Amino acid sequence: MPRVKKRHVLSGIKVKEAMRRQVIKLPQSAPIDYCINRMIKYKINSVLLTDEKQRPGGIVSKTDIMSAFYAGFPTHTPVENILVGPLLYCYPDDELESSLDIMHHNGVHRLYVLDAAASDVAGVIAYPDIVGLLYRYCRACDKGLLKTRRRQVDDDYRRLKVKDVMTAAVTASHENDTLVNVIEGLTEHRCGAVLITNAGNKAVGVVSKSDLIVAYKHGLAVGVRARTVMSAPVKSCPEEAELSDAIQQMLLRDVQRIFVHATDPAKIVGVLSLSDAARFRSGSCRACTSSRLMQL
Amino acid sequence: MIAHDIMQTRFHSLSPRDTIAEAVKCFQSASASEKKKIFGLMVTDHNDHLVGMLSMYDILLFIQPKHIQIWGEMEDLDPSVLYDERLEQVKSILVGDIMTAEVVTITPDTHLMVIADTMIKKHIRRLPVVDDQEVVGIVYVSDVFHHLLDKFIV
Repeated sequence: MPRVKKRHVLSGIKVKEAMRRQVIKLPQSAPIDYCINRMIKYKINSVLLTDEKQRPGGIVSKTDIMSAFYAGFPTHTPVENILVGPLLYCYPDDELESSLDIMHHNGVHRLYVLDAAASDVAGVIAYPDIVGLLYRYCRACDKGLLKTRRRQVDDDYRRLKVKDVMTAAVTASHENDTLVNVIEGLTEHRCGAVLITNAGNKAVGVVSKSDLIVAYKHGLAVGVRARTVMSAPVKSCPEEAELSDAIQQMLLRDVQRIFVHATDPAKIVGVLSLSDAARFRSGSCRACTSSRLMQL
Repeated sequence: MIAHDIMQTRFHSLSPRDTIAEAVKCFQSASASEKKKIFGLMVTDHNDHLVGMLSMYDILLFIQPKHIQIWGEMEDLDPSVLYDERLEQVKSILVGDIMTAEVVTITPDTHLMVIADTMIKKHIRRLPVVDDQEVVGIVYVSDVFHHLLDKFIV
């Protein structure tokens, strides 16, 4: 095996080892309403749309549905009206790293995986799947957090903290703002959720794209106040927390981001998303870079 | 023999506006009053038209964290704490948000053999009987089984 000086944990892993094989599809003629149902039920951010001949025609993401809500489309509108195409894809035998580059380059959070004959969609690969994979590797690692704790010894590897990876700018809206303001904030900052604050500038809740599409499906108007649809309380972790602990919390709670607080839990100083964690391309500690994990 | 002869005309249904907690309660009360386990319920709108089905499996799937395969390897997590938090999180979700809307149905005059065939090929354990948009009954796989196979008992 050739000696490679610098490798990180994802080197050599193929797309097929990380991809999710369950692909949720809908015909293009399905109403937006049912598309939201599929997203909630399967906890996915986008649905693959197929044409009359069952060929993949494009996708609809939570962002597109949120835009339809903003534009005032009735929920029985066929999804083909908000379809986004063409499909961005990769192949099962591609390197995971090159797929991450495609995602990063195109500013998307997922790629569909076409089977080798390019005739059908075999799976989908998204940032949370990659983080999940990293997390498993980390747990299996000799230098892993869990094992270190059990041995009660410190090692020399500096572990990544939440504050190293988090985004310090947090998009916030006031609890009395309407969903129109919230959607505009989300679109402008290209983020998945906004923090909701009260008159005392205290964080009281979060409105995510998921909350918005649920509100849309339940027939709420975009004019309602943010506090009526927000989820509360705000889930946050300390900025000094280990990155792997924060990732664990996100994966467990099925959230794609966690807010970060300073010493005072009421003071939110940043936000950490699963995508940030995946883009960092390391599990939770520098030990990964030594490629030790690849020999498992 | 046709669906009309074997269908159960007493059935329980949910509304798409029910919360998941109300659905769970309905599963319990339906099982208690029918004296058998109910694994799936019909969802009907205010006109009693069938709009979907919700199974126990759908609710379980929804409550589970998506990346559950990772947690299978962990012995240091307490599931009860985890589920308490999850239940709090899904409070805003209604039956209509996770039900299956593409429902296979039969009519009262569907033949028993056709019912059995549909159940086997599509892996369905219960089929709503719909007559001119109105739900008139439900056929469970156990009904089909007992009607078809009674004669095997000597």
